Amino acid sequence: MTTEGEFCHERGGTTLETRNLSKTYRLGSEDVHALCGVDFAASQGDFVVVNGPSGSGKTTFLNLLSVIDRPTTGEVLIGGAPTSTQSERELSTLRRSTIGLVFQTFNLVPVLSAAENVEYPLLLQRLSKPERRQRVAALLDEVGLADMAGRRPNELSGGQRQRVAVARALVAGPKLVLADEPTANLDSETGGRVMELLRRLNEEHCVTFVVVTHDPAVSAYARRRIRILDGRLDEEAVGVAVGSAP
Amino acid sequence: MWLSVPLRSLWRSRRRTLLSVAVVTLGTAVSLVVLGFVQASRDQLKQTTVEEFGNLQIAAADLWNETTDGYEYLIPPEAVAAVDESLAAESAYVGRTLRLEFPGLLASGERTQVVRAVGIEPDNGVLDPPSIADGRRLESGDTASVLVGRSLAKRLSIDVGDPLIFTLTTAAGAYNATPLIVAGIYRFQSEDAELRTIFLPLRFGQLLLGTDGVDRIVVGLSDLALTDAARTRVQATLDRTGIALEVKTWYELSPIYQQLSAYFDLLFGFLSLAVTILVFFIILQVLTLSFLERTREIGTLRALGTTRGEVFRLFFVESAWLALLGALVGVAAGVLFSFAFNAVGIEWKPPGTVDPVTFTIVLAPMTVLPPFLVGLVATLISGLFPSIRTSRIRVVDALRVE
Repeated sequence: MTTEGEFCHERGGTTLETRNLSKTYRLGSEDVHALCGVDFAASQGDFVVVNGPSGSGKTTFLNLLSVIDRPTTGEVLIGGAPTSTQSERELSTLRRSTIGLVFQTFNLVPVLSAAENVEYPLLLQRLSKPERRQRVAALLDEVGLADMAGRRPNELSGGQRQRVAVARALVAGPKLVLADEPTANLDSETGGRVMELLRRLNEEHCVTFVVVTHDPAVSAYARRRIRILDGRLDEEAVGVAVGSAP
Repeated sequence: MWLSVPLRSLWRSRRRTLLSVAVVTLGTAVSLVVLGFVQASRDQLKQTTVEEFGNLQIAAADLWNETTDGYEYLIPPEAVAAVDESLAAESAYVGRTLRLEFPGLLASGERTQVVRAVGIEPDNGVLDPPSIADGRRLESGDTASVLVGRSLAKRLSIDVGDPLIFTLTTAAGAYNATPLIVAGIYRFQSEDAELRTIFLPLRFGQLLLGTDGVDRIVVGLSDLALTDAARTRVQATLDRTGIALEVKTWYELSPIYQQLSAYFDLLFGFLSLAVTILVFFIILQVLTLSFLERTREIGTLRALGTTRGEVFRLFFVESAWLALLGALVGVAAGVLFSFAFNAVGIEWKPPGTVDPVTFTIVLAPMTVLPPFLVGLVATLISGLFPSIRTSRIRVVDALRVE
């Protein structure tokens, strides 16, 4: 982990890769091709924004990247390791150790406090209580919610909940954070703050971020921008984004 | 957290939890009350049976098997002495009394009744006849004195001090008749026993029957729980010493006890099954709905890396809390109700009895533990299926649920 304000200099190694990734759903008697032969790679420290209209395959793409769904054909490689041959249990272990997830609707566990929600991934990793407490406190401090640790999700605003979700995604030290429409349920100002937070954490933690959105304002924070349309990556649009976050 | 999170989830859906706990509580409490009543009835029946038969009885196989019409089964005094020697070696033995039973006709001035006369050793202390309602007990010096039951006294319209005529066939097959005086009127729980059994002094009975033998030796033990062990040991000693007599326990001598005991077991077994099925389906429904409402939460947990086994554990622990809570509250409710019920002291008259008995609910580990387990296990079983189903939900499908 780099210190606050320090730029991530470790960028370079491939964290995430997809090869010829396809997903087909059966809808009645018809096959719907949600993703068609997608090749994609993200390096350590990348901040990739995937945008596209509704139904373009963004969420399907993110589900496959986060190995909560399996592709019809193709392969997802995380840290160079293929995932298609892994069992359900191995994929669960991979998610808890390597991937952090941020959801559009925050998806905090309602019966847990902010601190306990953040602590949950560490509990799955069976870390000792003192270490869990120390890491949770540090992350809550980083997202500016140190004084909200004991509050339940229903006692927090939308922006605060999403910051808790971001802290939860990062607390276990993942290589990859995948965010699905992280600002969709927030007003533009709060959404902007959350995106700034994600960018700052991307820099400080040197973690690969892939953010799926249809919000053009989010795209402005991208280091790389990818457009997805009808299940295909728009090759023209793939490339290194100009400039950094506003 | 694996224990506290399920507890908090229960607290979060308080109304549903309350309904589930109420169902388990009701099932457990009803089982406890019914089992307590069944146990009280069984205890009462046991007490009556032991009062009638003693702990053990020793007699010839012909008597037990009813394989002869004569009195070949009578035990001569030498054999009684040999049995006494064998009994002296038994650690649970506290005493014995001799009995001689034979049929006869008892007539008052107005009516005649077929009775079973029981010759007893007055003041023996091992197996005294039932309690006296009027008059006195038989005493050592008595001869032509008799104890009759309340129902028989009523049937024959007789009272203490009244004369009766007793007619019988002797062991040798001759006709015999003797006058008797009613010394006392006894009471017994069974109306039939009161009507058909009279008690005479043993010596007088032997004189009437024309024998010096007895038909059985009734053995008293220090503890009813030692019955089976004592019976095995005494039988072994008799067999070893070549005494051709068979030992029977009090419950073997009372087919009614065995039938009623089996009926009580069946009654409680049926009730337990009914409660289990009822609790199972209601809790299954409640938990299935409850878990279904949290599908998205389950999807989140799985997406964060929680394995199927861990999700199962979380939800099954929730069922376990529910089971424990419901069963404990059920036991508490059942115990409180039983205390209150016993304090009121409601009386009822079981069929075939003379006096009403107090309706009691026995509270003991053996009446509390089975209902607790019924409530606990029924809830745990009903929590098993939704927990397994929940743990097998596909993560993407779960996350799509609004």
